[in-house]
Amino acid sequence: MSFLNDYIYYIGAFGLIFVGLYIILVKRNLIKVIIGLGILDTGVNLFLISVGYITEGTAPIFSRPGIDAERMVDPVPQALVLTAIVIGVAVLALALSLAIRLYQHYGTLNLRRIREQKW
Amino acid sequence: MVTPVLLIAVPLGLALAIPLFALFWKGAAKYIPPVALAFNLAVSLLLLPRVLDDPLIVSIGGWRPPFCINLVAGPVGVLFSAIIALVGLLVSIYALDYIKEGATEKYHTLYLLLLTGATGVVLTGDVFNLFVFFEILCISSYALVAYLRDKAGIESAVKYLIQGAVGSSLLLIGIGLLYGQFGTLNMADIAGQIGSASPMSLFVPMILMITGLGVEAAIFPLNAWLPDAHSSAPSSISAILSGIAIEVGLYAVARVVFTIFGASSIFLLLAFVGIVTLLVGEMCAFSQNNIKRMLAYSSIGQIGLILFALAIATSYGVAGGLFQLVSHTLAKALLFLAAGYMIYQTGSSQISALEGMGKKMPLTCLAFTIGAFSLVGLPPFVGFPSKFLIVRAALATGETVFAVLIGLALLGTVIEAAYFFRVIQVLYFKRENELTETHEAAFGGPKPNPGSKEAPVAALIPMFVLVALIVVVGIYPKLVTDALNSAAGELLDRLGYIRSVLG
Repeated sequence: MSFLNDYIYYIGAFGLIFVGLYIILVKRNLIKVIIGLGILDTGVNLFLISVGYITEGTAPIFSRPGIDAERMVDPVPQALVLTAIVIGVAVLALALSLAIRLYQHYGTLNLRRIREQKW
Repeated sequence: MVTPVLLIAVPLGLALAIPLFALFWKGAAKYIPPVALAFNLAVSLLLLPRVLDDPLIVSIGGWRPPFCINLVAGPVGVLFSAIIALVGLLVSIYALDYIKEGATEKYHTLYLLLLTGATGVVLTGDVFNLFVFFEILCISSYALVAYLRDKAGIESAVKYLIQGAVGSSLLLIGIGLLYGQFGTLNMADIAGQIGSASPMSLFVPMILMITGLGVEAAIFPLNAWLPDAHSSAPSSISAILSGIAIEVGLYAVARVVFTIFGASSIFLLLAFVGIVTLLVGEMCAFSQNNIKRMLAYSSIGQIGLILFALAIATSYGVAGGLFQLVSHTLAKALLFLAAGYMIYQTGSSQISALEGMGKKMPLTCLAFTIGAFSLVGLPPFVGFPSKFLIVRAALATGETVFAVLIGLALLGTVIEAAYFFRVIQVLYFKRENELTETHEAAFGGPKPNPGSKEAPVAALIPMFVLVALIVVVGIYPKLVTDALNSAAGELLDRLGYIRSVLG
């Protein structure tokens, strides 16, 4: 069980990433694809956080005496994730607004039927 | 004091100030990008001679490099930022007259943000910062592809967004894996420690990063979005996407492969991928009837050629690749700008609709022809020395593989010449009278728009500045070769890079 304890966050993160990729590749409805992008983003963010996580670590702030720097979680991935979340929100918002426009033009969100442009 | 920080700070600040200016005077919006980009061009050109020998390292926040986000203004970075500013400036002058419909101040804001992102990517020395600037570039280009809000634009933007977002996620996973192994995000610091890691543990992040960046660079299996996005965007944006955005993606791939990983074992693979990209792009371009799609596919082909040249990984090869990159940027921007007004005047982007345009828009067609000749690689223009350098580099390696591959690349050039000459023939050598008659006889439709006239001055100036650059650099390539050689040196010399950043 110690394997599961050590790697549970990584398993969860990559699980989410693969679920997201699966949805993006297989689903036909644009809204579902966008949800897939959201899940993919969440997986990546969880992965970044777990890179810097220490089991039972403390927040990286010297708030009271006796806190050991070795026991602190790494603050850098948290800063990265904050940025990545903001970027993810921007991309999702843009994707949803494009989905609205796409529906106005085609009357459908089924990506298999929206095929005006070909190679 | 001129510092590279200004190259990012000034256009970023002005881009976000555009909506404020537009509150007071709506017409002000379109004059801000030219001002910001002229400033950037001046700063880059001032910095360029200074950084040729010794890169300028700027540490943000006053911490020493491995602990801070740093900018590395080496020859590569400043050369790229100069090109971005130059082409950006010319296209923004073109857009003064070309962009009339829609929410123009949003167009100009996004345009300046796109170029800020591109400048940031080439100057940064931190992998996560690279990701952030890359996203600035990508998000603004998704929005700009959809700017016209027509069917084609929205559809292409959706495709581009989905593929681009997956690519960025892969890049971010790669960055996370690197951080997990080395505990640092500084490119030089990672590069310095990479020798101590096992090759297997580096393989996954490297492939993830190359794939993620390869989506934006439109390397062969990842380029499905490009022809749609580049052909549906407004022509000024197509020029920027084809001339700058994919080149910046390719720069990032080169930076990751050369500087961070120093992965000499995958160069041959990249050379093959480059040649496949080249042949696929040129063959698809040959079969297109839509002029902008043809130009977009031709960009894929050129990207393949540049990737091949970079993957030769000798100083000649990399310098040739960078030279080809410069010449492609100039020529493709010119072609899209010229095509933009031809399409505007004829109302159709089919190649057959351009018959006889050589008489109606002589200057625009002349510019288009020179751009096409340069891209094919005819002697007086800049495409010739750059392609020549690549051929020489490939043969100088003395390896049969590269000799065969360059032969295939030249085959690609022949295909390229075939489709460009076809367009030029349509422009000049079809007589309008007999054409109109056959047109009427065949379709009974209306004549081609009789009011076709020359493009406005605001569009002709940037086109002819590009023509002048293409001719002058083509005749006298020594103007740029110093900068290119020292840029190639920076990309190949990993230890020098690490030493100059970490001191």
